[in-house]
Amino acid sequence: MKVSLGRFATFSLVVLCAAAAGAAVAAAHTSRSAADIRNGGTLTIGLAEEPDALDPTLARTFVGRIVFLSMCEKLYDLDSHLNIVPQLATALPQVSKDKLTYTIKLRKGVKFNDGTAFNAAAVKQTLERDLTLKGSVRASEISPIKTVDAPNTSTVVLHLSSPYSPLTAQLADRAGMILSPKALNAGGTFAQSPVCVGPFMFKDRVAGDHITVVKSPYYYDKAKVHLASIVYRIMTDPSSRTQALRAGDIQVEDRIQSTDVPTLQKNNGVTVPKAVTIGYQGLTINIGNKNGLLKPYSNVGSDIAKSQFIRSAFDAALDRTTINKVVFGGLNQPDCYPIAPVSPWYKPTTKGLACDLHANVDLAKKLVKASGISSPSVNLMLGGTDPVNARLGQVIQSMEAAVGIKVSVTPTEFTTALNRADAGNFDAFAVGWSGRVDPDGNIYGFVATKGTLNDSGYADSKLDYILNGARKSISTKSRDTLYRAAMQIIHRQRPLIYLYHPVNYYGVSKKVAGVQIYGDGLIRAAFAGYTK
Amino acid sequence: MGGFLLRKAGAALIVVFISSVVVFAGVRALPGDPAIALGGENRDPAVVQAIRHTYGLDQPLPVQYVKWVGRALRGDLGLDARQLPVAHTIVTRIPITLELAFLSVLIGSLIGLLAGVIAAVRRGKISDHAATTSALVGLSLPHFWLGLMMIILFAVDLHWLPASGYVSFREHPLANLEHMLMPAVVLGTGLSAVLMRQTRSAMLTSLSADYVRTARAKGLAERSVVGKHALRNSLITVTTVIGLQLGALISGAVITEQIFVIPGFGRLTLEAINQRDYTLLQGVVLVAATGYVVVNLLVDVVYSLLNPRIRVSGATQ
Amino acid sequence: MSFVDTSAALTVNPRARRRRLLRRRFARRPLAIIGLVVALAFILAAILAPWIAPYSAGATDFNALLAHSSSKHLLGTDELGRDVLSRIIWGARASIEAGVLATLLAMAVAVPVGIVAGYYRGWADAVIARLTDVLLAFPFLIVAVGLAAILGPSLTNATIALGIGAAPALIRVARGEALALREEDYVRAAVANGASDARILARHVLPNMLSTLIVQATVAIPTAIIGEAVLSFLGLGVQPPTPSWGVMLADAQSYLSQAPRLAVYPGVAIFLCSLSFNLLGDGLRDILDPRTTR
Repeated sequence: MKVSLGRFATFSLVVLCAAAAGAAVAAAHTSRSAADIRNGGTLTIGLAEEPDALDPTLARTFVGRIVFLSMCEKLYDLDSHLNIVPQLATALPQVSKDKLTYTIKLRKGVKFNDGTAFNAAAVKQTLERDLTLKGSVRASEISPIKTVDAPNTSTVVLHLSSPYSPLTAQLADRAGMILSPKALNAGGTFAQSPVCVGPFMFKDRVAGDHITVVKSPYYYDKAKVHLASIVYRIMTDPSSRTQALRAGDIQVEDRIQSTDVPTLQKNNGVTVPKAVTIGYQGLTINIGNKNGLLKPYSNVGSDIAKSQFIRSAFDAALDRTTINKVVFGGLNQPDCYPIAPVSPWYKPTTKGLACDLHANVDLAKKLVKASGISSPSVNLMLGGTDPVNARLGQVIQSMEAAVGIKVSVTPTEFTTALNRADAGNFDAFAVGWSGRVDPDGNIYGFVATKGTLNDSGYADSKLDYILNGARKSISTKSRDTLYRAAMQIIHRQRPLIYLYHPVNYYGVSKKVAGVQIYGDGLIRAAFAGYTK
Repeated sequence: MGGFLLRKAGAALIVVFISSVVVFAGVRALPGDPAIALGGENRDPAVVQAIRHTYGLDQPLPVQYVKWVGRALRGDLGLDARQLPVAHTIVTRIPITLELAFLSVLIGSLIGLLAGVIAAVRRGKISDHAATTSALVGLSLPHFWLGLMMIILFAVDLHWLPASGYVSFREHPLANLEHMLMPAVVLGTGLSAVLMRQTRSAMLTSLSADYVRTARAKGLAERSVVGKHALRNSLITVTTVIGLQLGALISGAVITEQIFVIPGFGRLTLEAINQRDYTLLQGVVLVAATGYVVVNLLVDVVYSLLNPRIRVSGATQ
Repeated sequence: MSFVDTSAALTVNPRARRRRLLRRRFARRPLAIIGLVVALAFILAAILAPWIAPYSAGATDFNALLAHSSSKHLLGTDELGRDVLSRIIWGARASIEAGVLATLLAMAVAVPVGIVAGYYRGWADAVIARLTDVLLAFPFLIVAVGLAAILGPSLTNATIALGIGAAPALIRVARGEALALREEDYVRAAVANGASDARILARHVLPNMLSTLIVQATVAIPTAIIGEAVLSFLGLGVQPPTPSWGVMLADAQSYLSQAPRLAVYPGVAIFLCSLSFNLLGDGLRDILDPRTTR
């Protein structure tokens, strides 16, 4: 039961870090042959947060992507192993030798959910809108696209200003969702009645309550669609989500809170698929963020900033296994690195490095002594006022007390916490990152001097040199070596102390078949149905 | 009468105006940059800047205020972070809270009036003490906790009622009532306690009034004395009390809706604060304040119609 | 508390006689006495928490999470292995502090303002009336939530928010009292005798509204106690790890199906605490306020 204000935080720590692009291994199928599924019925999915604008050009939220999956198909999609496969395109793009021209063939005979034809002109209009609309969140994702051509109705040619290998991956997400030109040209707010190609079409939305989509009569593959409609209910309170699942009010539960996982796993009517995310949760230590983010960094002079020993002691005092047990019921994956073990990058970049998941109280005490600071104190800002954050804060507090570091805890509403973190107004900040597939996305922004998320204010020319080298390098092997070197520096200096990788758990009623959770953590329900 | 009404309406307008300034300033005083809240996890500086511009956050405050009020006067409260019209969102949410308020007033006044009348008629007897003490218990119960306990008992243990959520009446009348029952009882308890006390004292006053004594002297049956004369007069007081409890009802609705996850007006307020959705929050609080002022004006008017003496003393304000 | 003072009864001093009368009336109300005793118990628990609580409020035992009650932990432990009884006792501090201080704050603002409005009337009354209208136009919880959000969540700010929230109603009471008292014969006589305003207010108006104010204060305290619990429950009041009943309830919500007892104890504490003040206030009202005397 989310008693938010604090839990209010649509952006609470777990949510955010757990959310987004978490790619992982466990691809959970509740697979059954299509013959067992009957047609009709309404599937209700309890979402953990409220989606923002239902406009793929402007949308920013993780849960928004779940809703789009049923009503806005993309040029490309992911399969259960997270490989990119064509969806509205017929094949992967043909890329020219100079990697500046992408030719994409489109499916024929496809209709938007307003009955108009899907064609190359529509793709051109959507991509141009993504690039130019004020406030477009997509613009930066596909910025290397210079021009879009539509030589015929089923071919699109993208001209790039520079080579950009993530382009196809971007077109497998919101940037690849094609919007109906008729709806765009109608002049209203697209988000209020979005029209794309999809198995379901938008019916209504009541802010803060639900979004309803109904089976589309125009969909090209509608024989595969079993459900008559899908209702996405916004249920920010985790306990009531679980209660609703048990009561049968909803059939699919987005992200179960850790305290409910064991109960649901024992429940005979429910399966609990999980997805290990590629994100992490950690503590950002303010070392040099004296004047604000990206302003000249110099040591802020707090106990934990001025002494490397205190940072090491702080880390050594943390018992990651106990934190996971007490705060999360043992359901997450405790670790010391920004890259998750599910990533192929994990092993080569952490080889030979030490990670102690238990506390080393004696060592920590010695380090405190060695620091020469008689009674070190640290203020820990929590990125949310929800009970999970509160538990985390109090567990850390009691572990640090055992080695003589006095921790005061400041639970802070998430947005305010981000503002304070950017302003450098904190000692330590418990915050997470949803994770990116490439290691650069989990490291560079946070610890490179020019990183746009470097709230730690950490400036280290050697680390910068390594990270920039890894950005330019194409060889996997040399990148392995470089990131391992970077990891060593981060471990020694500790601008960030990594605690664990979140694992997301979902609840799916056994009355329903065909709901799929891939490693990206999204709920795929468009082709699900009730069993006979 | 006309002059009195004009003065009251004028005062109400001033209150609404001051409220709009307070709302605007209060929302701006909230810590946490809404553009950051909307900027997504990457906080891409270009996106954040574009958001500031879209929502006019980069303009001077007085300009923002005037634009907002100008549009609000035309019924346009702007688009929220979801790109949905705020006015429409509010209009869809208010009926839910009104239903909750209506049901709790119904439950609250049924219990409150009955207990109050019984207590007054049987003054000093055991039933009076029982009613008075229960009213105190009702006043002392933190109703959000009462809600939690009811969820544990009736939803988690007994599975009699849904723990939370909302179904619209049009969609499924029975399910609607099932979902609303616990919240309405929770919200109604506090009200019934207040009403019981007010009814009791109003009844005690009117039972000792001259016209009631006359009625008794005329040999009317006690039931008719209580029912026709005393109760009817006490009802005037009680109606006013319900009107004045509106603010408390809205406050109660905020937390009740939070606990039972009802997508009403109260929950909308909390969502708006949490998400730092300035446009939404401004609209919500302005509508709440205006609604309160209007209801109070109505209460004043009704009251002055019922009791002409008030007009004189009210006029000197 | 001087319940045993009998010597004064023999004197003819009218004040002493009144006091004796009040005491007798009070003694005839067992519920009010119970209220007084329980309220005092909570206040004592709050003051003596460091000495009477079996454990410190933050002492965690990660090997005894969600333990049932035992001789070691009378009410069991919570999700971090902390002693629930100790946290209830420590939690009384936040509740009593918020309840009493918020009420005092509201009084300090409301009484002078209300007296000025009611006694002098005129433009001051009009302005004050509009301002209280504005304050009342915002539902109390929204004011409190907004203030807590603006000022940042803490017990102090929650107390300020609760005080401000309680003020408008008290202003109206004080104004009403002053309005009625200025028409009283003894006040008119004092005015006719040329007494200064300050003297009239201090000697005649304030003392005569005191009983009403005391009753109002006693009734405002439980409202503020519940208000503190609500704000802390919503994460806008006392911040963990400081124990508060509202915070305990918020934490317990995640464990409703596993350990519902965690949600029971703090609620009972809030209920008993506010009930005790309400019983006391009701008793005092009957005794002190002649208009509602039965």
